[in-house]
Amino acid sequence: MLGKGGKRKFDEHEDGLEGKVVSPTDGPSKVSYTLQRQTIFNISLMKLYNHRPLTEPSLQKTVLINNMLRRIQEELKQEGSLRPVFVTASQPADPLGDNFREAQPAFSHLASQPLLPADFISTTPLESCLTPASLLEDDTFCTSPTVQHDGPTKPPPPALQPVKDSFSSALDEIEELCPAPTSAEAVAAETAADDSKEHPSEPGVQKPEGLPDSRTADSKLMDSLPGNFEITTSTGFLTDLTLDDILFADIDTSMYDFDPCTSATGAASKMAPVSADELLKTLAPYSSQPVTPNQPFKMDLTELDHIMEVLVGS
Amino acid sequence: FAGAGGGNDIQWCFSQVKGAVDDDVAEADIISTVEFNHSGELLATGDKGGRVVIFQQEQENKTQSHSRGEYNVYSTFQSHEPEFDYLKSLEIEEKINKIRWLPQKNAAQFLLSTNDKTIKLWKISERDKRPEGYNLKEEDGRYRDPTTVTTLRVPVFRPMDLMVEASPRRIFANAHTYHINSISINSDYETYLSADDLRINLWHLEITDRSFNIVDIKPANMEELTEVITAAEFHPNSCNTFVYSSSKGTIRLCDMRASALCDRHSKLFEEPEDPSNRSFFSEIISSISDVKFSHSGRYMMTRDYLSVKIWDLNMENRPVETYQVHEYLRSKLCSLYENDCIFDKFECCWNGSDRQQRRFSTELFFFLPRLCSIVMTGSYNNFFRMFDRNTKRDITLEASRENNKPRTVLKPRKVCASGKRKKDEISVDSLDFNKKILHTAWHPKENIIAVATTNNLYIFQDKMN
Repeated sequence: MLGKGGKRKFDEHEDGLEGKVVSPTDGPSKVSYTLQRQTIFNISLMKLYNHRPLTEPSLQKTVLINNMLRRIQEELKQEGSLRPVFVTASQPADPLGDNFREAQPAFSHLASQPLLPADFISTTPLESCLTPASLLEDDTFCTSPTVQHDGPTKPPPPALQPVKDSFSSALDEIEELCPAPTSAEAVAAETAADDSKEHPSEPGVQKPEGLPDSRTADSKLMDSLPGNFEITTSTGFLTDLTLDDILFADIDTSMYDFDPCTSATGAASKMAPVSADELLKTLAPYSSQPVTPNQPFKMDLTELDHIMEVLVGS
Repeated sequence: FAGAGGGNDIQWCFSQVKGAVDDDVAEADIISTVEFNHSGELLATGDKGGRVVIFQQEQENKTQSHSRGEYNVYSTFQSHEPEFDYLKSLEIEEKINKIRWLPQKNAAQFLLSTNDKTIKLWKISERDKRPEGYNLKEEDGRYRDPTTVTTLRVPVFRPMDLMVEASPRRIFANAHTYHINSISINSDYETYLSADDLRINLWHLEITDRSFNIVDIKPANMEELTEVITAAEFHPNSCNTFVYSSSKGTIRLCDMRASALCDRHSKLFEEPEDPSNRSFFSEIISSISDVKFSHSGRYMMTRDYLSVKIWDLNMENRPVETYQVHEYLRSKLCSLYENDCIFDKFECCWNGSDRQQRRFSTELFFFLPRLCSIVMTGSYNNFFRMFDRNTKRDITLEASRENNKPRTVLKPRKVCASGKRKKDEISVDSLDFNKKILHTAWHPKENIIAVATTNNLYIFQDKMN
């Protein structure tokens, strides 16, 4: 670490990490490249998960760290070292790979034209009149292009759906096992099939827009999405089983934030008891409700073991 | 610059330093923005505690021709208070992100100050007279018994000690979901823009309950978000034109006449990546932390982590000039990523527009040097850098209390990147990364600069002969 006035001694190890950028094709330097990449990967994960701010984390920083993780993951995938991790009974053997591939078109398209979401979503120009900024707060306005694209009846954006499916079905299984009174389930953001099967408690929320329709009354709630988005996307990065605790924490948070509109009890009851306080503190910035540290948890450790089995596929 | 024997070189001298002396920095005292007003007479600073401190330059003393007036505290007020967002269970910081002055129209001064969510228009006015001689009130304010009044008099204004009052005249709130990073007043002096991570809104200075969205880069699916807005500014002369920069190192120029929602840029400024410098951190260090138009509006300057780039508005595919601020950090990016320094947002500024080349000789009359000829930006270890676009020379100076004597010319500094360290050089490993100069400002007309270290404000002037 660079500190105040202290001179660093020349250190072989550190030099391997810093030093010049090494291309992955160099033979003997490949190891140090891989080491550097892994270090940066770990640092990036730490930054995303250990940060417990009282104030909202900087969106710019979050986006940049996330991009870093994505790039590393792409590289790993291209090198063939991406192993499928999140396997559920009802999903094909490589849900992560599938999810990633399906997500790719969205990413790559946007990579080429990152600041023209209007292009991707809708061809109807929005330039006819000035948009009062107050309308943006509802988020219904800025998502209306998706209405035009998706049509009046249909499901969430395809890029999102597969990722949610694997988790939502895992969630569903857990729900069935767990007799907890989780009245508010995952919202209409999930597929229509799931909705009809699982969510009698949310009858009227079947709006045509996918994810955006979950932003019903609480537009401010959706403002926490910057946090949500980085947690959900980064679940795809945790292919390394040696990062067990981070892996586990990640599962829990993803379970949490697929229910952005659930009530506090519903959301909280899905959280595992292990390191619960820690998780709660981590999640507080991203939750819609103030989370008190001592909320009772419905699942006990045996359920927890079962979840682990299901998700790890062992 | 110094010692090179050139006719136009500026020799910078220490003038003043404001702020606490202790090494223990109170969080609230951290300076977060510095801005001169249009005449240069007033210098405003904002801090993390939500306060604004305005300094005023003393009128030049005719007898003291060796120095320009000093800056003294003129007004201090609490601009923003911390708030709590109950829906998200998060604090909204009171830190002042930006201050922008309005041009002076009457006796009072106006400025816009903003934190992450709310912009406020402040009126700063002087009061140097007060009414005396009320019939029904005593001088101390107590009411008189009306039955004791036997004669009537007309109250008159009498001089009093100068009092400077700041009052909030407009509060522009609830228009930003994300954190505001920029505000910029239009050349029409009636409207201004505010930019957050994903949106830019247009306001009228008189209207607080409505603002119009002119840029929106929020994707319908937040998972697809890979780029955010980092800074925005109106063109200095063209009231329909503005630019905004992004975290991917691009600048977009938009024309508000083209459409109400400026999601399609008129111009896109982007330099192709240099393959030899490619690293894991290429994207992060390309993120632009500040963008500033030159006074003419022909050029704009951007600051990314390692460099300052000058762009000609007529050329989109690459900058016309690039200046390396601290290239020796390129091999340290991993550590700087780890300790978060790589996310530091350095600002940059142009020299003032008048009287810049004070001493060019008459035979050069037909060759007019560019008026926006010097750019300044900060670095670590309380160093700041200046680049002269005409002479291509650069200088590194330090803001520290060790150079305390006024009219002492500052000694140039040099950082030794590798190898043998010469005398008076500082090695990269000795740099203090906690001492960062993020905010600097240049007087609009004179060679006076304000440089903010963590909690101190330094004022330097050029040596007058």
